[in-house]
Amino acid sequence: MLEELTAVFPILSCILFLPVVGAIVLWLIDDEDMVRSSTLTIALVELALSVFVLLRFVPESAAMQFAERVEWIPALGISYHLAVDGISVLFVGLTAFLSVLVVIYSWDTIRHQVKLYMMCLLALETTTMGVFLSLDLILFFVFWELMLIPSYFLIKLWGGGADRHYAALKFVIYTLLGSVFMLVGIALLDINYHQWASLHHSDHAYSFDLLELLTVPIPMSQQILIFWLMFLGFAFKAPVFPFHTWLPDALLEGPIGMAVVLAGLKLGTFGFIRFSIPLLPDASKSDTIVTVVVVLGLCAILYGAWMALVQPDFRRLLAYSSVSHLGFVVVGLFALNYQGLQGSLLTMINLGFSTAGLFFIAGFLYSRQQTTELSAFGGMAKQVPLLATFFLIIGLASIGLPGTNGFVGEFLILLGAFEAKWWVGSIAVLGVIFGAAYFLWYYERSMLGPLGSSVKSTMSDLQLREMVIAVSLSIMILWIGLYPSPFLRIMNGSVQALVDRLHHDKTAALEQSITERR
Amino acid sequence: MTFVLNLSFSDLLLLLPEIFLTCWLCVVITVDFVSPQLPKDRLAYLSVGGLLATLGCLAWFDVNQVSGTLFGDMFVLDRMAIFFKIFILGATILVILASIEYVDRFTLFRGEYYVLVVMSALGMMFMASANDLLSVFVSLEFSTLGFYILVSYLRDDLASNEAGLKFFILGVFAAGLFAYGISLVYGETGKLVFSDMTSTQATPGLIIGFLLIFAALGFKIGAVPFHSWIPDTYHGAPTPVTAFLSIAPKGAALAILLRIFLVALGTFKPTWIYLLVVVSIVSMTYGNIVAIAQRNIKRLLAYSGIAQIGNVLIGLAAGTKMGNDAILFYLLAYLFANIGAFAVVIAVSQAIGRDEIEDYRGLGRRSPFLAFSMLLFLLSLAGVPPLAGFIGKLYIFIAAIKEGLYTLITVGLINIVISMYYYLIVVKQMYINEPIDPSPISISGPMKAVIYVGLAGTLVIGIYPQPFTDWVVAATLKFANFVAPAATVTPPSLLIGS
Repeated sequence: MLEELTAVFPILSCILFLPVVGAIVLWLIDDEDMVRSSTLTIALVELALSVFVLLRFVPESAAMQFAERVEWIPALGISYHLAVDGISVLFVGLTAFLSVLVVIYSWDTIRHQVKLYMMCLLALETTTMGVFLSLDLILFFVFWELMLIPSYFLIKLWGGGADRHYAALKFVIYTLLGSVFMLVGIALLDINYHQWASLHHSDHAYSFDLLELLTVPIPMSQQILIFWLMFLGFAFKAPVFPFHTWLPDALLEGPIGMAVVLAGLKLGTFGFIRFSIPLLPDASKSDTIVTVVVVLGLCAILYGAWMALVQPDFRRLLAYSSVSHLGFVVVGLFALNYQGLQGSLLTMINLGFSTAGLFFIAGFLYSRQQTTELSAFGGMAKQVPLLATFFLIIGLASIGLPGTNGFVGEFLILLGAFEAKWWVGSIAVLGVIFGAAYFLWYYERSMLGPLGSSVKSTMSDLQLREMVIAVSLSIMILWIGLYPSPFLRIMNGSVQALVDRLHHDKTAALEQSITERR
Repeated sequence: MTFVLNLSFSDLLLLLPEIFLTCWLCVVITVDFVSPQLPKDRLAYLSVGGLLATLGCLAWFDVNQVSGTLFGDMFVLDRMAIFFKIFILGATILVILASIEYVDRFTLFRGEYYVLVVMSALGMMFMASANDLLSVFVSLEFSTLGFYILVSYLRDDLASNEAGLKFFILGVFAAGLFAYGISLVYGETGKLVFSDMTSTQATPGLIIGFLLIFAALGFKIGAVPFHSWIPDTYHGAPTPVTAFLSIAPKGAALAILLRIFLVALGTFKPTWIYLLVVVSIVSMTYGNIVAIAQRNIKRLLAYSGIAQIGNVLIGLAAGTKMGNDAILFYLLAYLFANIGAFAVVIAVSQAIGRDEIEDYRGLGRRSPFLAFSMLLFLLSLAGVPPLAGFIGKLYIFIAAIKEGLYTLITVGLINIVISMYYYLIVVKQMYINEPIDPSPISISGPMKAVIYVGLAGTLVIGIYPQPFTDWVVAATLKFANFVAPAATVTPPSLLIGS
């Protein structure tokens, strides 16, 4: 993952800044329908650019591709460094894809302050892209923090719940608390680099560049300290149990569009696989850390599933199922073997389709009954057969039925977990059973059986825009479920390089190639 | 000490900005007396013109690296002094432009207001160059004299009078401490110039003397526990004066603190680091926690200012060239965000007549421009990327973490989270709550200019900080020679976390 292919054309910068430039253009437009269609155009162009990057991406390669690098603040060693590799490129595509769907979804569900909403949405897209594209840790941190501002406004201004002010503030304060610790971790990495560079009389005094930081050995005690600092930052964001308490509030109180982005894009766990594990391989391997993190992951799987079982509100259920799924991802990551890492990465992408998809379904339900409480539903399959069908497809993907994308990811994670420690795998399996239970139970009570008393008989089935969302998600779910190899091929090279880095044998060879590169 | 005064013309060149500004001050006051019918905003523009010319002269000094000392080292003009002078002049210009409308509220002596502001600025310019305990004392009192009058300028307003009285009594008390400190230090060392004191022994008299001096300067920058005057004075003073008070004297006093701690006391770093760590932690925590409870925007900014000074002191505690650079950079970021925030406060209070945070209800609807500017200024003060405040905080933290001050950093970071809470309270009022009176707010031309400058500074320093980091690094380059012995002293092991 240390090779770098420089871009001929700064396409990543275009992807990064197109939405925010679009947001500024939106400011000048007054007509609401114009605003909607312009936002959709911008999101579609963004998707086209991302698909182009995905198509031109060289699979089975560990190289950083489409790289761009400009010095930003040389005095502090901060640069503007963008690139994608097998780990991040799929997230770029996913972000663009989900943004298009969110814009389509918001078309007629958002009725007041449409322009500001769309501007916030586009700003959020830029910051999310920035998190996935940045290779400089400060640049990464900038986007990581900036994401809070549009999110805060989205939850506060367009949230449906009565407690949305509390939820928005809680979300911002929790994430900020985590990220200040992460900032210390980042600064320590920089200081470590500085000490190493001054010993070796390198001309770079400071650096926050991931690729440069990777070349420097870090003492074990420092690694452990930095690991925990960065862990806090990522764990609050992910959120890893027990830092998850903001998530149900934010997802329930915020608008559906925001929930899709928050629950669909696994930024926190992306942080682990992008920064923590490669930068701090020895700490990540150490027994204490693996045990603590994996146990937290297992707790999350069981606790999340258990809590989801008793939630009468569908969005709260989804929030807890999200916590449970993140537990799987964490367990897979810290199995620290090929299958585990690959499975976690694929699961993160899968959740972008299935969890986000279920939030769209929640939105469809909400727009019909003005609530997602279970009591408002019952036996709706006859009334709305299409909605019920897509609900089932996406839901089954979320619980990992074979043939859907969820199965591939969870299977790989469990494989990795069993290979690492048998007891971890066997506890994690329980989560799959619980997952099936809470989803099927809710589905049965809301869609099947006799018609619920409060269900209107005039309830309409999926509209055109809703169909577009449901169908495109289902296509992706079945595609990854039945033919995952294009996706796995894209990530293989980078995952392999990460495994090599973790298991020292080939590290020497890697370092050799770095010195040649310089 | 023998004092030989032989000034050549080239020596006087070093004093050119101050001499020019003094003459200009006389011109402004004469114009005010000669033609009392002249609209007072003309006087404001006249003062700004003089300040701009002085600024240009200093910029010329900076580019051509003019430097030197005068009056037996009492007055030093190095690039750091030039930096602080430009800083002070910039703040003064913005404050004058922001006052033009506000001055109509004064019943008497509207013209003299500008003269007093420029006079205080002149005093602070001398502070930036003071390199000797006596010149520090004289210039400090000179600049504070103007402030004593300015704070109580709203003659009929009880709060303003109370503010003036509090500021005056505590200010005089601080001056007394300062004079006593000087006498002790002089008694122990027999020296007044900072750079002569470098290798003296730490005797009890010297320690007490410097503690007293630190207390007096701590009073100027408003660090806890010398902050008690700040909330009431900021609250009662005319808002432009509050804005001025929250920036310029802090900058000037920090110039002196840097010279005292890094030059005169450089070798005692292992001792004074504890003092600074404690004061910094207490300032940040106290300022931020008390700010949460505030209902008045000026009081909120006062407490946030106390917390910001705590952050600045982190850089001083680092005690290295990098820490010094970081302080200068932080002050630049703070200048634009704070002046901008106060400009918005002035604009809102011109329309509404009150400064309660409640009055900011629905500002996003009433004036999107003011609300958005305020949002950016507050976020910059909180340290949200990619605004100037973030880079400033990052710079300071990196400087401190390099010295192993982990305790300090942890407290600083937790404080960022706390501060976010009360800044968001204001944001919530502006954007979430509906306005009671939805009529739009009009903003005058000069005020708009100030806000635009604040916005430009906040954004440009945040997004493209390169020229500014270069500037602060160059500003302390020569100054760093003095710092060298201190930098070799390792920080005490107690503060190293791991």
